[in-house]
Amino acid sequence: MHGFAVFLGKELTEILRTWRLYVVPGILLFFGLTSPIIAEITPSLLSNMASSDVQGIVIEIPPATTVDAYLQWSNNAMQIALFALIITVAGAVSGERRSGTAQLVLTKPVSRSAMVIAKMVSNWLLVLVTGVISAALCIGVTAFMFDTPLVPEFLALVALWYLLACFLVALSVTLSVLLKSQAGAAGAGLAVYFAMSVLSLWVVMRDYSPVGLLGLGDRILTGGEDLSVFWPVAATLMSVVILIMLACWAFDRQEL
Amino acid sequence: MSGAIQISGLTKVYKETRALDGVDLTVPEGSIYGFLGPNGAGKTTALRILTGMARPTSGGATVFGHDVVRATNDVRSLIGFLPDVPGYYPWMTAEEFLRFSGKLFGLKGPVLEERVESLLAMAGLEGIKQRVGGYSRGMKQRLGVAQALINAPRLLMLDEPTSALDPMGRKDVLEMIAALRGRTTVFFSTHILTDVERVCDTVAILDEGRVVRQAAMAELKSEGHALRVLVEVEQGAEELEPLLASQPWVVECRREGQVIRCVVEGMTAARRSIPAMVVEKDLALVRMVEEEPTLEDVFVGLVGGRS
Repeated sequence: MHGFAVFLGKELTEILRTWRLYVVPGILLFFGLTSPIIAEITPSLLSNMASSDVQGIVIEIPPATTVDAYLQWSNNAMQIALFALIITVAGAVSGERRSGTAQLVLTKPVSRSAMVIAKMVSNWLLVLVTGVISAALCIGVTAFMFDTPLVPEFLALVALWYLLACFLVALSVTLSVLLKSQAGAAGAGLAVYFAMSVLSLWVVMRDYSPVGLLGLGDRILTGGEDLSVFWPVAATLMSVVILIMLACWAFDRQEL
Repeated sequence: MSGAIQISGLTKVYKETRALDGVDLTVPEGSIYGFLGPNGAGKTTALRILTGMARPTSGGATVFGHDVVRATNDVRSLIGFLPDVPGYYPWMTAEEFLRFSGKLFGLKGPVLEERVESLLAMAGLEGIKQRVGGYSRGMKQRLGVAQALINAPRLLMLDEPTSALDPMGRKDVLEMIAALRGRTTVFFSTHILTDVERVCDTVAILDEGRVVRQAAMAELKSEGHALRVLVEVEQGAEELEPLLASQPWVVECRREGQVIRCVVEGMTAARRSIPAMVVEKDLALVRMVEEEPTLEDVFVGLVGGRS
């Protein structure tokens, strides 16, 4: 892990000085602000559409609640924000290889593991900070617009979402080590995400693998029964460790 | 002198291509060592193995006694390296990149600041706040040499440092390399003969993955290669040419206008006889020049016409 702190410092500075500061954080902050608003106006929009287009049919849409506001955030963060995260992280190592910076840096006393892990940690920190700010914004706007705050349930949802984001960062960095192009790694990362979505319909996978994190936060928020949190969380943490080891092992064996 | 680099039986095979084929090489400490060869000879492959970026198929190499495969960080802390196309983080300035490079070597505080300042001055980049992404090739290459020197390396390895540069850029980089003479060992690969002639004191010629010659520059140029004399007269070179060609010490004679070029076996005989022949023919001598064999002659002799 020689050179880890220096490389992590470089990664964090790079986030602050390049487009990386705007994409995922921008998406998260936008959804933090707008999710409660969208939840609030959605019933009115649907009622207007129903009354104007379909005559003779009465559709009753209940007014939005705090749960709807948080679920709106969850939908956006679980999909668009995570897709953006997978795509942007997918070039982490392959980009360094392609541009020649890996060759220039790794001929100095820096271990390849330090580079790989610094890539993951910097993105975890980026998602952590912007995820917390996004959640805080969402809680604030929700508290302003709705009655019941339901903060502990929402924080549990955000924590599970963050764990899933960490897993996907580790997956994307690993794919970026294994594949030559950012497009290839991004495509593979998105394919894994869609496969997870399909597998989440299978109870065994949902209860004992990272797949279970998809929808678990929503079920906590809506007061669902039979919530097995331990195994999905433990399996995800184990998967992250395995991905780190795989990425370091594979990168160590590559010729640059 | 001890060997800064010792390479023995180094072989690298990519699928069906043998990039290096049993290379043996010793780079003396303190030398400026030219690693010369045509494109595709295996120079970059050898440098990639020496810097730990690739692994040999067989054979091995040491840098100051450290195995380049096993002791990668020990080797890297002793070397500075400039790849053929250096990649930088475009959002950094030169100063930031040098500081980042220095920190990777564990430098900090006043030592790091002093190194950064002096290397920026050496590379002619002091006071430039422009980001590296907007640099010209010449500026990038000068920064490349500077970053390779940030740890005051015992061995500087440069891969084709001048190949992509215009004449001014080449001049700047060669002067930077020449200025290191006596301070650090420099091992640089190139296919540009004049660069090697200009700064190197020792040369290895690589061809098709094999070292075909390794020697001090002076020794290489003087060994077994033809001596040449150029004679120019005001008028009457056509009378002088057959007389020169008939001399036993003249191997070959060729005339272009009033200029005659001869390949001779011994320079002493040429020095003694040619002025006398000019007088004998009652001609006016404009110049008589002894032409040293160039590295190009040696290179073409060893490598042939493949480059």
